[in-house]
Amino acid sequence: MNTEKSRTARWRRITGACLAVALGTSLAACAPAEQARVKLDFFQFKPEAVAEFKALVSEFEAQNPDIDVVINAVPDPDTAIRTLLVKGKTPDVLTLNGNGNFADLAASCVFADLSAFPSASRVKPEVQEILNSLGTCHGSETNGLPFANNASAILYNPDIFAKHNVEIPRTWDELIAAAETFKANGVAPFYMTLKDAWTVLPTYVNLAGNLQPRGFFEDIRAAAWTPQTGTHGFAKDGKEAAEKLKQLFGYRQPGADSAGYSDGNAAFAAGKSAMYLQGSFAIPAIRAANPEARIASFPYPTTNNPAETTLVTGVDVTLAMGRETKHPKEAAAFIEFLMRSEAMKAYTTAQSAIVPLADAGSIADPALEGVQDIFGEGRLIGYFDHQVPTSIPFTAMLQQFMLDGDTAAFLHRADNEFAKAAARTSTKKGE
Amino acid sequence: MSVPRLATGPAKNKLRSQTVNRTFYWMVVPALLLFVVLHTVPALTGIFYSFTNYAGYGEWDFVGLQNYVNLFRDDRILSSYGFTFLFAVTATIVVNIGALFIALLLNAKIKFQTAFRGIFFIPNVLSVLIVGYVFNYLLSNNLPLVGRALGIEWLSTSILTNPDLAWLGIVGVTAWQSIAFSVIIYLAGLQTVPAELYEAASIDGASHWRQFTSITFPMISAFFTINMVLALKGFLQAFDQIVALTGGGPGTSTESVAMVIYRGGFQGGEYGYQMANSVVYLIVIVVLSLLQMRTLQRKEADFS
Repeated sequence: MNTEKSRTARWRRITGACLAVALGTSLAACAPAEQARVKLDFFQFKPEAVAEFKALVSEFEAQNPDIDVVINAVPDPDTAIRTLLVKGKTPDVLTLNGNGNFADLAASCVFADLSAFPSASRVKPEVQEILNSLGTCHGSETNGLPFANNASAILYNPDIFAKHNVEIPRTWDELIAAAETFKANGVAPFYMTLKDAWTVLPTYVNLAGNLQPRGFFEDIRAAAWTPQTGTHGFAKDGKEAAEKLKQLFGYRQPGADSAGYSDGNAAFAAGKSAMYLQGSFAIPAIRAANPEARIASFPYPTTNNPAETTLVTGVDVTLAMGRETKHPKEAAAFIEFLMRSEAMKAYTTAQSAIVPLADAGSIADPALEGVQDIFGEGRLIGYFDHQVPTSIPFTAMLQQFMLDGDTAAFLHRADNEFAKAAARTSTKKGE
Repeated sequence: MSVPRLATGPAKNKLRSQTVNRTFYWMVVPALLLFVVLHTVPALTGIFYSFTNYAGYGEWDFVGLQNYVNLFRDDRILSSYGFTFLFAVTATIVVNIGALFIALLLNAKIKFQTAFRGIFFIPNVLSVLIVGYVFNYLLSNNLPLVGRALGIEWLSTSILTNPDLAWLGIVGVTAWQSIAFSVIIYLAGLQTVPAELYEAASIDGASHWRQFTSITFPMISAFFTINMVLALKGFLQAFDQIVALTGGGPGTSTESVAMVIYRGGFQGGEYGYQMANSVVYLIVIVVLSLLQMRTLQRKEADFS
């Protein structure tokens, strides 16, 4: 989802620079190697996971001495991969975030069909469905295999919950009651970070994803959709989610407007709030701020019926293979190597992620125990915002909504942006 | 002696002018080639794609003028033009007044004149992004402390997260950074003013203000024109300072045109549509610059 995309650019630039140096030296060291080795170009998008993939690659190279995997990690992967595609230099193997951007690329048939891969049958079907529903080549292929999943749940501090005798909320009313209890006891219920627009998203994707009707996007992303003619729309179906979002953000601490994502991670790590509206992807950053941080999680109760609760999960890392790769055999071997349970477990343990296999067993990170059951049952939905065209500044609109609190204006603007996008899409199709 | 000179003179001149011309061609052609390859061809390619639905990759079709029609219906685009003009005009005025003032001070007979000139030039040496990130920190963390200490409500939260004030923060940082360059041009202009004019004026008993309005300003008006044009043109293309300070936020309140083009075109997969936006914007900037040159040049003093 957008969260990974928008993680501070500075951080990426730094890791990118470090990696460039590291790569430079390793390449120089590899240079005199014999020509016979097959060179696999491996595009790796995740700057936080450079070390993990490096370790996996060296293990693979040790097992396959005739294959040389060249890792290519870049500061701005979404732009970089498009540039590579424009130049016709599709990498042999790729990791990408399984978001709308990936789906756009998959739909333009630049990635190979992986549905016949042995590992494809081991993937949890609900997860594969979330990824494929965003878009694939000809709408029928499987262009990406989920390698690691994230979960958008509410993180909480179990010590603070125990101290104030608050049970884990299972319904919306219990969640509000818990927030009120903390507020009455002088504890910040949530730590909100409105300076970084995207930090509103994790909450909104749960509310909107669960409260807005199925088939919402099929309707509003249709060509020539307008709020007047469409069956669905934000003003028609989006009011409850928007109002609930506003209600939760009404509990923000003073100064939330100028607090950023890293401030939030540090504050929650230091026990400054009872809950934190972030997903599993924030856990490594919180632990980086305080290794002893007390973190647990529970799925978002968006209604008063616990049976309706779902877990928003996205494919944080998806594996793909270039359609026209010169070394399909070697690339497939590398993907199968990465898709082994041991490799995925090692990775997800280090990155606080979830193994998206049907036989994955329990989640390694204790902080994610709270979402174990619902993930196991497969009550999963994808990220709402992955369906939003990237040309719409959706996160900025949510941030604006949280700052001015004008529900009607937000819903109207969302409808308007989709109508404009639909008008542009229809010119795409009707030449 | 004079006869042969007359006879050979024109021939020699002709020969010389031909060699000179050839040298000029050798100097100009490579530059022209580079310009055409690196600038004109990409610009024409961009204009071409503005009539298509190209996403930046993959297949595309011609859509005629549809992109341009959609452009004028897009309120996000229109509000980005509004913000950019507001920002550029304000910043141009602030920068030119500030720069002229500082240039006058630095041109006066003060102690450590060269050292001061060096110090005032430092902001221009720093990268806009670095300046932006530093000021982002100061405006988000330090300025609110000052606001709280003084009990000023609107200053006690970061002005960069206030949709109504964020643009002022951007103007301030931009001015701080770009005044230095304008100062250099004004200083160069001030040094062209002959000292006798001031001597004569002070004998006539003209006040400092009168000297400024009647001598200094008319004498450097050509420099004023070029500074105004350069500043406005540069600020209309504002991008990096906004990335570093607000990222276009809060909401979309500080999105400049360049930023919308980048986001929609390169990140949003609407390359063709944003190319249409770029073409419109190119025309807007050219027209504005020409208008500005004409009106300001008419007011320039002509002493020749």
